[in-house]
Amino acid sequence: MTQTGRFTRAGISVGPSGAHAAVIDGDRPVAVSRPMPPEPTAVLTAIGAATTRFPDLVVVDISDVLLDGVVRAAPEVPQVAVVRIVPRPATDPALARSPADEVERLIRRRFTVPGGHDLLGHELCPIDDAAIAAVCAELVREDVRHVAIVAAGSQARPEHERAVADAIQAALPGARISAAGDFGGQGLVAREATVVFDCALGALADHELGRWESALAGRRSSALLRVARGDGGYSMPSRIRTFPSVVLGATDALALSGAAHLAGLHDCRVLLPCAESGAAGGLNVRSSVQVAGDVRNGLPVVRPGELPGIGTELVVPTAALAPEPGPGQPRHRWPSADVPVAIPTRSLPELASVGAAIARPMAWLDEVAFIESAAQLDRIRRDAEERATGIVMANGAAPGTAHLTELSTVAVPYSPSGTVRIRVRVVGADDPSAQPAEPAGPALGSGAGCSAPEKRP
Amino acid sequence: MSTPNGNGGTNTGGTNNGGHSYVGAPGSISAADVPALFEGAKFYSPAVGDANKSSLTSWLEGLLDRNGPVPLRRPQSMPPRTPCVSLCVLGSGSALADLPPSGDEFVEAVRRIERIQQVTFGAVYPLAAATVSALVPVVAASQLGVPLLDVDGMGRTYALIHHTAMFLAGLSPTPLVAQGPTGESVLIDAPAGARADRLLRGNVDVLGGWAALASYPTTTGALGSAALHGTVSRLISIGRLMLERADPESLVRRLGALTGCRRLGRGRIVEVEHLSRPTDVTIPAHPSSLVVDETHGQHRQLRIELRSEIVAVFADGALVAAAPDLLCLLDVSRSELATLDSLEPGDLVDVLVTPADAMWYAPEGMAMVGLESHGIPLELPRRR
Repeated sequence: MTQTGRFTRAGISVGPSGAHAAVIDGDRPVAVSRPMPPEPTAVLTAIGAATTRFPDLVVVDISDVLLDGVVRAAPEVPQVAVVRIVPRPATDPALARSPADEVERLIRRRFTVPGGHDLLGHELCPIDDAAIAAVCAELVREDVRHVAIVAAGSQARPEHERAVADAIQAALPGARISAAGDFGGQGLVAREATVVFDCALGALADHELGRWESALAGRRSSALLRVARGDGGYSMPSRIRTFPSVVLGATDALALSGAAHLAGLHDCRVLLPCAESGAAGGLNVRSSVQVAGDVRNGLPVVRPGELPGIGTELVVPTAALAPEPGPGQPRHRWPSADVPVAIPTRSLPELASVGAAIARPMAWLDEVAFIESAAQLDRIRRDAEERATGIVMANGAAPGTAHLTELSTVAVPYSPSGTVRIRVRVVGADDPSAQPAEPAGPALGSGAGCSAPEKRP
Repeated sequence: MSTPNGNGGTNTGGTNNGGHSYVGAPGSISAADVPALFEGAKFYSPAVGDANKSSLTSWLEGLLDRNGPVPLRRPQSMPPRTPCVSLCVLGSGSALADLPPSGDEFVEAVRRIERIQQVTFGAVYPLAAATVSALVPVVAASQLGVPLLDVDGMGRTYALIHHTAMFLAGLSPTPLVAQGPTGESVLIDAPAGARADRLLRGNVDVLGGWAALASYPTTTGALGSAALHGTVSRLISIGRLMLERADPESLVRRLGALTGCRRLGRGRIVEVEHLSRPTDVTIPAHPSSLVVDETHGQHRQLRIELRSEIVAVFADGALVAAAPDLLCLLDVSRSELATLDSLEPGDLVDVLVTPADAMWYAPEGMAMVGLESHGIPLELPRRR
């Protein structure tokens, strides 16, 4: 901490070809760097040179590095086998695959195992043990090391996913297994895409975080390393090694909060600058499209949805962006807004680095539940809030600092009366008493996903 | 691209029309029309979100690419004795998203009624040309190689399967088949059509939360006077407008020109309440309410009563719009429709009201789907 007792924080937004850094002392940005090569040692050296004292906490945004790894099929991004657990296999090729080519390219083999539950957790079909054995034999024969599992209804009842994961783990002890039940959310295809990214990106996330941990250790610094999430918050590196897909889309969310912070606005609309060529993981997803997003209560508005350039929905929340109105509309003024509009002059990664520097530990839940009374609704809300609070603590929040920032409960249309969707967002504060982590070993073979001690990222 | 269905439909929609919003009455539906069809269908029922959008649309686009465009026909343009049957997704869009179709459910449901009635259907039509139920008849038409009729029974969605123009005209919804994603199916043949929904509803949950419903087997001649016409083709025009992502002001203005819709108010959602009215468990989704504080104009407080659809809007306690009006919310920040399963406090929304088909305002229609059927015994406000 500084002599004033304040936490000094650095945010770093890393892309495939460059990095930007920002340092915040209290609420005040003291330095925002020019572009640098994405080398951790060089970036940390630049941060050290820009400040009188090295920051206490460093939040790194690696989302574009991970997306770039997907797009250019980096060697650290392996193909995965997908096991779908549903009552019946698809009869149409389009329904048997992901609608997104970026996802499908990551998939080496697909299997369907009969099983699954409905939205509220009622079993629709017993899990087929013979089919599990056949899948395991095939995975062993092909020496598959990465497996993503998604079952219908696993956000309510993960037992079938666990049965498959346990069998695969026994047959392939070194395999990395990701299970969709750990993510909650709506939609089998969205949950499958999320878990495919999660499984495929583990090694790359581990490699990238290892570089930053080593560079920090090399400075003999006591700074804490945290990793930016797609919802604009941060998690511990260990959590990201287990659930790397939660970082996807972080750059946009951080850019929103960074722009609002620089404008001194707590609630605003932000017109994001166009992404530079090669940004956004090389996808150039919106290099020519002006987009805008919102900031409420100092946090970027996020939703589970389609990540730009991916072509299918994910269940991890990312910035809710919309194209700005077309030609002829004033770029600088949303005609309908009742909040101020921030029009940043800095680039997207610069804004993201500021957003990273002010990020806080965060957690998000998106679930379906059944209620029969107002009292039961209250209990379910409290339960969701408590679980989200547990997760935000695991993501690095100081004890006693977690607080509910968003709670949405809506009736699910055309479902049995009493079916509700609950979404919870909880935010905490930094934990200055946390110990800096030593560089971790490879995550491969750690059996992430189903065996993770904490459910839901 | 070939047209194996061979019904001579002229493709005035699709790729030939580029980004134009006005396509007239398209003669067929091609893969290029699918994004607009999806968005237009959302306007007529904001119940289902986008959790499974890309999977459903890519499925339909793939079918239309492989099999060619589906001819879109007026019933009067076909021989009047042509057998036809309606299709829809019965149940929850969220359940459909989490347990997607295997792909054969809709065709299987049709085939089963064909076997029972010993007919071969020469056309299909939507039970409700709205939400995902507007897409699945196109799927089935492509798989079966038959035309799609440019009609439906609701002109939006209502909660129960006998809330249709066909039922009011004396057509029976049965025999009907609900084919589940589990591969199981339920056949219902009820002499009193209104009993069919109650017999069906409990089975849908067991089938996985949703089912492919084939019902109202009839003929194109009977549909001529018993269905709502032009309710499929209009979706494409409206969807193209929605896809332009114009600013909310011009979007509402242009929607008004196309549909007669108007804005009741604009504000931020400040509260979502549940079990806010007595619950009738025979109707899906429990009653809930939204409270919206107007940020513009008169700064009224809007109270929006929900079921699976929006059923009423009150402004400072006075009823300003109600079923059978079509009520929906426009997410102002994103200039797109806000679906009821994804609303959050803080969202800035336009509350839009669109007149339903005139038949729903007649006494028989009002008795079936009016505000009183939702447990709110108030008179429909006079349309301004």
